[in-house]
Amino acid sequence: METKEAVFRILRFNPQQDEKPRYQTFHVKIDSRMTVLDALEDIKHEQDASLTFRRSCRSGICGSCAMKINGLAKLACKTRAITEVDRYGEVLVEPMENMPQIRDLVADMAEFWLEIDRGTPWLIWDESLTGSIKESLVTNERQQVSGKLADCIMCGCCFSDCISRVFDKNFNGPASLAKIYRFVCDPRDKEGVKRVHGLVEIGLWSCTHCYFCWSQCPRDVRPVSAISELRVLSFNSLDPSQGARHVDAFTDSVGRSGMLNESTLYLKTMRWNVLRDVGLILKMAAKGKAPSPFARAIPRMDEVRSLFRLAKETRQK
Amino acid sequence: MKYAYYPGCVAKSSAHELYNSTALVAEKLGIELAELTAASCCGAGVINEGDPFLNVVLNARTFAMAESMDLDILTICSTCQGVMRQLKWQLDNSPTLAAKTNEALAKINMKYNGKVKIKHLLWALIEDYGLSKLEQQVVKPLKGLKVAPFYGCYILRPAEALQFEDHEKPVSLEQLITVLGGEPAHYEGATECCGFPILFVQRETAFEMGGNYLNNAKQKGAGFMVTPCPLCHISLDAYQAKSSKKIHTNINLPVMHLSQMVGLAVGVEPKKLGFSKHMVSMEKVLRVL
Repeated sequence: METKEAVFRILRFNPQQDEKPRYQTFHVKIDSRMTVLDALEDIKHEQDASLTFRRSCRSGICGSCAMKINGLAKLACKTRAITEVDRYGEVLVEPMENMPQIRDLVADMAEFWLEIDRGTPWLIWDESLTGSIKESLVTNERQQVSGKLADCIMCGCCFSDCISRVFDKNFNGPASLAKIYRFVCDPRDKEGVKRVHGLVEIGLWSCTHCYFCWSQCPRDVRPVSAISELRVLSFNSLDPSQGARHVDAFTDSVGRSGMLNESTLYLKTMRWNVLRDVGLILKMAAKGKAPSPFARAIPRMDEVRSLFRLAKETRQK
Repeated sequence: MKYAYYPGCVAKSSAHELYNSTALVAEKLGIELAELTAASCCGAGVINEGDPFLNVVLNARTFAMAESMDLDILTICSTCQGVMRQLKWQLDNSPTLAAKTNEALAKINMKYNGKVKIKHLLWALIEDYGLSKLEQQVVKPLKGLKVAPFYGCYILRPAEALQFEDHEKPVSLEQLITVLGGEPAHYEGATECCGFPILFVQRETAFEMGGNYLNNAKQKGAGFMVTPCPLCHISLDAYQAKSSKKIHTNINLPVMHLSQMVGLAVGVEPKKLGFSKHMVSMEKVLRVL
């Protein structure tokens, strides 16, 4: 098998020796089958035994070897080194983001676990089901959703690449919300949809939909979709948060004219907070950029109204 | 080249300069735009969070309209592009959802067949028009200033639904900038979120996000930024003063819409491209170019 020499640039840090993290370069012969984890093992066994990283199953199941590879969180055991070299010319390896570095590629996952815990990530048994034939009945539809969410291996990749978490430490992150939704979908759970209450305080509306958590999840859990579903539930339960008002105002605007009315959306979502933007609004108006609050309906609006009616009927069913 | 043109709500409202500049660029390049004037809003990933099925049927109606014209859809908004492409992907991979959707569409005498393609102007210029042909149309190369490409989220992820380019290391904007005679600036944050989706809910976080990427681009020597998304443009241009304040830095980095940048290079008169509507002055850019 053909081999080639690849450059591995690794962020090293030993708190007992180093004042601050530093990059160290290693050269490793790789073939097309080698994973980044294989290469790290090679470095550790043949070049520098002090290189520290977590690993266990080597099969993408345990989630231990999550780390930043060329800027994005991935499992080292599932990432082929050659793909990274072809894409970036080198393999840059760093510990996960949004967590402090303990040593070399080992990140302190305490905050991640704390956020998971905030979501009560266990089944709260509905005792009324004990002894009943209903106790284990799960529809296929529900199983498809909760089964996919239960695939989460808690590797922390989504938490690491969550851009909202970088700037907003109150946001509990994608894995925590996905785990909450997993139990919302579980018919055996006593809390069920009631778990949605209180999520606004821990960041339900802080997710930006950047889709990194979808792209980087090694188990295809798609936390962003779970967050959207939780928002749907929170909206249906008449959650009065600003996020829910935004959805309501947006949908109402499209129901009236077929198009988004930026002015009414802004006013209805922001309410008195629009006063914070008075200067900007005046500047935009002066440049002819402030959208008109009076929207003209699109042609064939009757079709749009029919679809709104049909969707409402489907929802009620 | 002819498309069923879906400009999106923002290009027809607060970002009219994007709508106008796209028309001028299309005329210059000989691209015919048959506007879907009766198409509704795509939902921007927001309607989805109140009523997912409503979001599906509204977009399926738009797809069916384009199919009845036997044309592919052209968007100039990454958000419209991302929402529509993702829904099409869901419909094409779920016979149950497609059947349920067509049941609803039948009530308004429409049908989604699955043959329509959805393309952002950026992709259409690369795939359909061709970069070498575009290069031949350049009369005013973007020389003298580095250009910071800002992709944002919806034109890149989720990659399996969008099926265009490597979301980890995209090159389309850099390729476009290069054929237009410019030099792309490489900076951290080009593929991150601009902050717009949480602008109404978590303002301060949104300002910090946008401000950081603008500042990163400026630090790497960018003379201006370009974005394929009018929502990113609002966050990066209209709210730039607030972002500057938030990160305690005077950023002052002009931000162009994609079609404005193409328009400049292919010789559309700058005055007609609507730069006067921007919050951050484009004057110093136009002086250099």
